[in-house]
Formats: sequence, C-alpha cells, structure tokens
Amino acid sequence: MVPRQSVFKDESKLDINFIPQKLPHRETQHRLLMEFFNFILRCPEKMAQRIILTGDVGTGKTALAQHFGVSITSEANKRALRFRYVHVNCREYRGSLIPILHRAVTFFRPNYPSRGYGSEEILGALIQILDEENTQIILTLDEFDSLIEKEGSDAVYKLTRLQEMRQGKPQRLSFIFIMRDSKAIDLLDESAKSTLQRSIIHLERYGKPQLIDILNDRAAMAFEIGAVPDDVVDLISELAYTETGNARFGIELLWRSGKYADAEDAGCVEPECVRMAVSSIIPGLRRSELSGLGLHERLFLLAVAKYFKENEQSYVSLSEVERAYAVVCEEFDEKPNGHTQVWNYAQYLSKIGVLKTEVVTIETRGRTTRLSLPTIPAGQLDRELTASLQSERGQT
Amino acid sequence: MEVEEVLSSKSRMKILKLIYQLGQLNVSDVARRLKLNFVSTSKHLKLLESEGILQERTYGRVRMYRFNEGSAKAKAVQNLLDVWEKGK
Repeated sequence: MVPRQSVFKDESKLDINFIPQKLPHRETQHRLLMEFFNFILRCPEKMAQRIILTGDVGTGKTALAQHFGVSITSEANKRALRFRYVHVNCREYRGSLIPILHRAVTFFRPNYPSRGYGSEEILGALIQILDEENTQIILTLDEFDSLIEKEGSDAVYKLTRLQEMRQGKPQRLSFIFIMRDSKAIDLLDESAKSTLQRSIIHLERYGKPQLIDILNDRAAMAFEIGAVPDDVVDLISELAYTETGNARFGIELLWRSGKYADAEDAGCVEPECVRMAVSSIIPGLRRSELSGLGLHERLFLLAVAKYFKENEQSYVSLSEVERAYAVVCEEFDEKPNGHTQVWNYAQYLSKIGVLKTEVVTIETRGRTTRLSLPTIPAGQLDRELTASLQSERGQT
Repeated sequence: MEVEEVLSSKSRMKILKLIYQLGQLNVSDVARRLKLNFVSTSKHLKLLESEGILQERTYGRVRMYRFNEGSAKAKAVQNLLDVWEKGK
C-alpha cells in the first residue's frame, strides 16, 4: 500500500553516508583540523602530517573527517592545487593492510590488480601514482584500531615511515587515523608509537541539548515541515543520550520512526512511532521479564501503556498515571495501592529499564515525577500485559 | 608496421576498445576480460606499445597499459573509437 503522503522530504539526508554541509557542535574540531593541515594549502608538498581522531561511537568522528575532507578539497580547488581526500574504513577490509592500500590506489587507478604483491610494493605504487598525478592526499584510515589489532606495529611503521624515506622529495601523503580510543596505540612498539606523532583530537560525547540541535538540523533537511514535533525530537535525543550520546543512533532512530509513521499513514512522526522504532533496534521488554513482575506492578505498567496509547504524548506525570492505574485496577477488580507504592513501582520499572522517570520542576507547582516509555511500543505492551493478566484470571 | 597490419587484428582492436573504455589495465586483466590467452595478449600489448599507441607503466611487479598521452597515433585511435562508440 502506498502511503497517503510521506513524512519525508528527502530521507537520503538521514543516510549513514550523508555528509552534511555543517556539523553542529564540532566547529572547534573542524577549525583545529584546518589548522593542522593548512600547510597543504600554504606550502604544498613541503611537509606531511599525521593526526589521530578519537571518540566514542556516534560522536561524529567519521562525519567530521569527511566534512573536513570536503572543505579542504574545495579550498585546494579554489587555489588550483592538486589535492585529493581519500577515506578508507579499515574494518571493511578486516584490518588487512594490503586491501586497505589497494582501496587507496584504486581511487586513482580503478583497475589496479588486487592480488600478487606485498604491502611495501603497493605502498610504493601509491607513492609512484601520487608522483605521476603530481598530487597530495590526506588518507583517512577509519577504525584504525582494527588495523593495529590485525597487523600490529609493522604495518603502522611502514605507513608512517614512508614519507621519511623520501627526504628531499615532495611530501604527498598525510594521514588522519580514526579510532575509538587512543589506548589501541599502547599495543604498538615504541618505534611505531613514535612515528604516529600523537597529535590527538578527542571528540567528547554529545550532551542532550547538542543531540537536539543535531536531530533538529537533520529533521529540517529530511522531513516535511511540521512532520517531526519538538517532543519527538526531545524523546529521540533522550534515547540517543542514554545510548552514550550516540548521534548516529539518534539519526537512525529518526529515520526508522519516519518509516513507522509512513507505514501507519500517521502524517507526522508520533511518539508511538519512536517506540516502535526503538523496539525494532533495541530489545525492549522480554516476556520472561514481564511475568517476573508482581500483579500491581503489571497493573501499573498497563496503566502507563494505556495512557500513552490513548494520548499522543511523550511524557506523563505520575499523578496522571495514578488515576489511570485506579481505572485499570477497577477493570481487574483490584483495590489500587496508595501513592507511595505507586511511586515504588515507577522507580522499580525505571531501574529495570522498562520506563524512564525523571523529576521536573513546573513553574508555581513545584517538582513532579514524569514518566516516559522510550523503548517499548505502548500498543504492544498493552496487548502483552492484558493477555498476561487475563490468562492469570482464567479470562479470555 | 603499416596501419592495416596494426588495426586488422580483431584481438588488438578489442584490446584498444577495452583500454579506451576502462583507462588503464594490466595484462592479466585484459586477457581475463577478453577471454584471450595471456601470452598472445602480452604480445599484442607489446606491439601496440612499440607502435606508440599504448604506454606501459610499471608499479613494482605490476605492469599496466594505457593510451600514450603524447602520441598522435593514440589520439587518432581514441578519436576513431570515440566516433564509433557514440554513433552506435
């Protein structure tokens, strides 16, 4: 069935390989990279540089390097300099030096044979090709840790010593090494370590407000106007923040949520779409965990599920859930427990990761606990709990 | 060699067309793609090189052939293939 009207304007803007024109909250690091490599523009072929870019998953290392690659290539073109930016992900080649270098060579010689030579031969071929093309390159080796793990010090030494063996000749090959943690360098022997030069740019994890900016930016590019409400961006950024500040996770979640919105013909991305998207990425609540909950904990959770199913909201206050819980108890002929017990249920369910609770301050009304159901679709939870409670009571 | 001798071989014309399409190839790759014998492919390539149409580049043990950029003969052959392929 073709959806009535898609919430997407251009979903390619949420693709993992998309390089945005601006990278929110990475401007300082971008400027720093430009500073490190501006010799390519100012005094070409006079020197080479090696930079290590570190940071956790989803902190924008790859995006930053590729964005920088686009910027410096454009600057070089303006000055009529021969320059190329080449990005290779080492893990795609299982950390083996020869196929990694082959990838770099095929950037210039697409039909270069893939077998029949050693790493030093192909390194030599790369330099010879750069001489023939009279060009400088920055070769970015993404997930460089996989190369260190697989090939060890010898490969790193060969890569980094290459320019030093060409004293007096044009310096054409600079490197950006991308890795999660600079600790991988400790696996190398002293000579290989020293050749890396250790100019490190570390990317800190994104905070929630930064993730909101990033997601708003992408949502504006990828979605129709008004298709992604603020509270949905807030919910997704909260989830991405709990996933170690992982912007890539947040962007993927935004895309998946849009897909669920289209599948449901919703017209806009609703919090329920996000919950469905999350449950398709992270396992939410297993049935075994559900049966391990007490009767009133399940009644309370059912009240939360019903509330979110009936109201298109991302958050609900504890007092509202308490009222919904009383209605659910009445349906199942149970006497509802008091506020303290209800609060305990919320805390326990939050502790095991089913709910998320947070204390917020509301103007003139003081502090209140609000709940969200970030990882499980409310409709699915409602069905599971209702079935479990009814089967326990012998109802159908 | 006379032009008719150089260009009368079907295999040589196929080699020239392949290099015209793909830019730069080594001997094994040419032989594999055209399903030709390695030795005869190598001989054809050497002949085309000696006529100044192709140029050999050596990267370690890898030998790759491409059109000789400075050769008028190479330009003429490329023009011929260009007209021929576009006119299809």
